[in-house]
Amino acid sequence: MSALADTFSAFIVRQCGARAARVIEFDKLSGGAIQDNFGLTLDLEGGSRPGRQEFVVRQDAPSGVAESLSRPEEFRVLQAAFRAGVTAPEPLWLCEDPEVSGQVFYVMTRAAGSASPRKLVKADFSEEQRRNIVRRLGAELARLHTVRPPQASLVFLVMPDPDNPALSRVALYRRYLKEIGEPHPVLEWALNWLEDHAPEPGPTVLCHCDFRTGNYMMDSDELTAVLDWEFAAWSDPCEDLGWLCSRSWRFGADDREVGGLGDRQDLLDGYREVSGVDLDPATVSYWEVMALVRWAMIALQQARRHMSGEQRSLELALTGRMVAQMELDLLNQVQELEDGQ
Amino acid sequence: MINQPETRDLLAEARQVLLESVAPELAGEHKYQALMIANAMGMAIRELEQREQGQPEQTDRAVRAYLSEQSLDETATEAETDLARVIRERRLDGTDPALRSVLRTLTESRLLINNPGYRKR
Repeated sequence: MSALADTFSAFIVRQCGARAARVIEFDKLSGGAIQDNFGLTLDLEGGSRPGRQEFVVRQDAPSGVAESLSRPEEFRVLQAAFRAGVTAPEPLWLCEDPEVSGQVFYVMTRAAGSASPRKLVKADFSEEQRRNIVRRLGAELARLHTVRPPQASLVFLVMPDPDNPALSRVALYRRYLKEIGEPHPVLEWALNWLEDHAPEPGPTVLCHCDFRTGNYMMDSDELTAVLDWEFAAWSDPCEDLGWLCSRSWRFGADDREVGGLGDRQDLLDGYREVSGVDLDPATVSYWEVMALVRWAMIALQQARRHMSGEQRSLELALTGRMVAQMELDLLNQVQELEDGQ
Repeated sequence: MINQPETRDLLAEARQVLLESVAPELAGEHKYQALMIANAMGMAIRELEQREQGQPEQTDRAVRAYLSEQSLDETATEAETDLARVIRERRLDGTDPALRSVLRTLTESRLLINNPGYRKR
């Protein structure tokens, strides 16, 4: 561990032209089955960032999932989001030379607070605080969605094909399901429903695609950083809002449909305040159904990583057994939408 | 061969020791791991119970009966595989209440093993 701290420290010293650095703290941060995140606090002597500095170093774990971006790609997405004014860690330096630490990695600033979903959902916030947090989430998404293709630095992000993000997703998930090879009648049925009910696409924008409670840092009631950009993609703005509202991310607070925190209208209001755009709640509901299918696909892929021996893990194995939950939610949610609830 | 106490009893007792004696002494990552182990053992116990009661066969029969009613029971593969295929091939009406009902039966049978509490949400 300490050799790794010295490696990262020496890299940072070179990047900011410091004379020397002392490692104050170095630890592996929790979370992230796909990446390793390290907290590194340095006392830097001279250079462009003198004094005590808190960094996060993010590098690849042994294996990833099909959809996720490489670290250099993620770094460029984070740069684009940061430039667009999203409250995200500031991306500082990318190291593409695997000789340095054994893996490609990048360094970003460390945000204060916690991303723990259970802590946040159980926090004793007033109704006003909750509304403000949810509006802020809408505002952050609106800022992110100002990033539109084409972007020279983001050429690795593929455009939806066909030219409709919803149908593009349906085609992708059909392919995944075929590759996985297990029979899942509910998912097949839901994919048919999604194909038949695809809304007219909105503008194609940069979507985070994993924007949910647990993936943003909060310091008390203040959002300090949107994290985990490895699933970012060009898509419909409502994909991000649907994912955030999905039943899978309410952590027991089922009646608070935005991430277990608050109401959808506040999310849409926060979005409109920044973008001037009124999103259609029905389109968000459609993307909530898509979110359930997508989470089921990810869970099936994670279970496969365990079953194939690529990464034996009890956590991945148990995730595979969660798919029936998403399937029950799908049956209930489609019924509710049809009943006009 | 008689081999007592039976597997379900062994697993249930082991899970109880884990939850009542071991887990309270643990913290952080190890506590999380202990709870995941207890969760996995709970699934194994419930799966054995469901098998003893013939639940998986009952669910398969319900799917097979539905496919027969739709005149789609034509192959010798597992009923669930057939159901997934005919849905994918769009040979069924997705809005048919009988289809929704059979999908729910399948899902709830799995949840009875994987997470019985989830059905009440």
